[in-house]
Amino acid sequence: MNRLNIALVVAVVAVATYFSTISPSAVQSMHSGFMSWMSPFLRTGSAMQENLGSVGRRLQTLDELEVENKKLSVENRELRAENNLLTELEEENSRLRMALDFRERSSFKLMPARIISRDSTTWWNTIRINRGFEDGVEADMPVVTDLGIVGKTTTVSKNEAIVVLITDETCRIAAKIEGTREQGIITGLRIQETAAEGLLQMNFLSKSAKLAPAQQVLTAGVAQGSFPPGLVIGRIKEFRLRALDGQAIVEPTVNLATLEDVFVLVGKK
Amino acid sequence: MNKVLIDLAALFVGVVLAFIVQDALPPMADFYSAHVLLVPMVFCFAAMVLPFPVMLVGAFYTGFLSDLTYMHVVGGRVEIPLGSSIVYFVIFGSIANGFQPAMKSRNVWPFVVLSGVCTSGYLFLQFLIITIQRGGFLWENAVSWRILAPGLMAALIAPLFYWTLSQMDRLIPDGSRKMRLIKR
Repeated sequence: MNRLNIALVVAVVAVATYFSTISPSAVQSMHSGFMSWMSPFLRTGSAMQENLGSVGRRLQTLDELEVENKKLSVENRELRAENNLLTELEEENSRLRMALDFRERSSFKLMPARIISRDSTTWWNTIRINRGFEDGVEADMPVVTDLGIVGKTTTVSKNEAIVVLITDETCRIAAKIEGTREQGIITGLRIQETAAEGLLQMNFLSKSAKLAPAQQVLTAGVAQGSFPPGLVIGRIKEFRLRALDGQAIVEPTVNLATLEDVFVLVGKK
Repeated sequence: MNKVLIDLAALFVGVVLAFIVQDALPPMADFYSAHVLLVPMVFCFAAMVLPFPVMLVGAFYTGFLSDLTYMHVVGGRVEIPLGSSIVYFVIFGSIANGFQPAMKSRNVWPFVVLSGVCTSGYLFLQFLIITIQRGGFLWENAVSWRILAPGLMAALIAPLFYWTLSQMDRLIPDGSRKMRLIKR
């Protein structure tokens, strides 16, 4: 290798090293720009598949019915999810009697979104949805369905957002167990056998906790957290005692493998 | 010089196409949801046919796009630092570039082996960085398969990729192919 080549290698490695020092927010902006740029290309495949599904004018009525059915189905899920959230809030309100917080947590604005891609990476459990900052979606917003939590948004581009699923180890949620005072941190397992259908672990529980299978796990809603309190995460499958704490294995209530439509909690009404 | 620029432009387009195709391919359920990766194979081919300085440009481009594609930012923390893939592709490209004589003599085996190694090596690097960032070392069957299966798939696809590019090369009616034949 001659001197010129060595100098070039050093230059490229130096630039790469410089890149690694860029702040996470700047890196996220770059990622967002890249997603916006790649989005039309990545959507082409799924768009082609959808176009192949329509078979002409004879089936137009059926198509229309399907569209209407889908629309009503989304609307129905939205209403159910909204109802679920409102019920949770009402229960919490009556329990804690925090009148001052009532207005803040009385209701949420839900943005319906469709999953456009899933399982696109090896080491992270993520999905991509068809809503971006143009729709009011921002980073770290909760993503839910009528059954419970799906995850939270990470990088948001113009018309798309990446959602890290609750089954990912990097998605940490402060959680509590219904009917008890037990609180802990819920995370996914590092290695899930399948990306979408995974179990969760709830750590930092007290060793004397009396927990039974099928008990419901809800978000605790800590200050500065992404998730409001009372959202359903899953149900306890197993409780283990460890050296310093107790650990619960939790099964998510949402079936992440078959999920098609989700809602982003974009704010309060 | 024009030929080199055409090859570099082909690499730029090829890498983007590879990203699109691999994104559309579903994970392999029988191999613990391992993914088919095509980008390292495309880069490997380019590294074995391009001159060294041009290969470095290709490594920079491929690494930069790979880092942006696999970026995972949660809670203001970047899991795999931007630039790490560039360093990987520079190192691997430098090794692959040394196998140019094999490529010129139409020996496809080094390309097949290096494609598999490059793909699995890239996933192993990602796994190592994640392990260091999160702490604790977990090694299960799922990890082994998620690293090895994409490498094996790349090695299986590599001869087809090589053959396809050879056929496309024959279709080029200009003097670039003649020039290469004269050089050989």
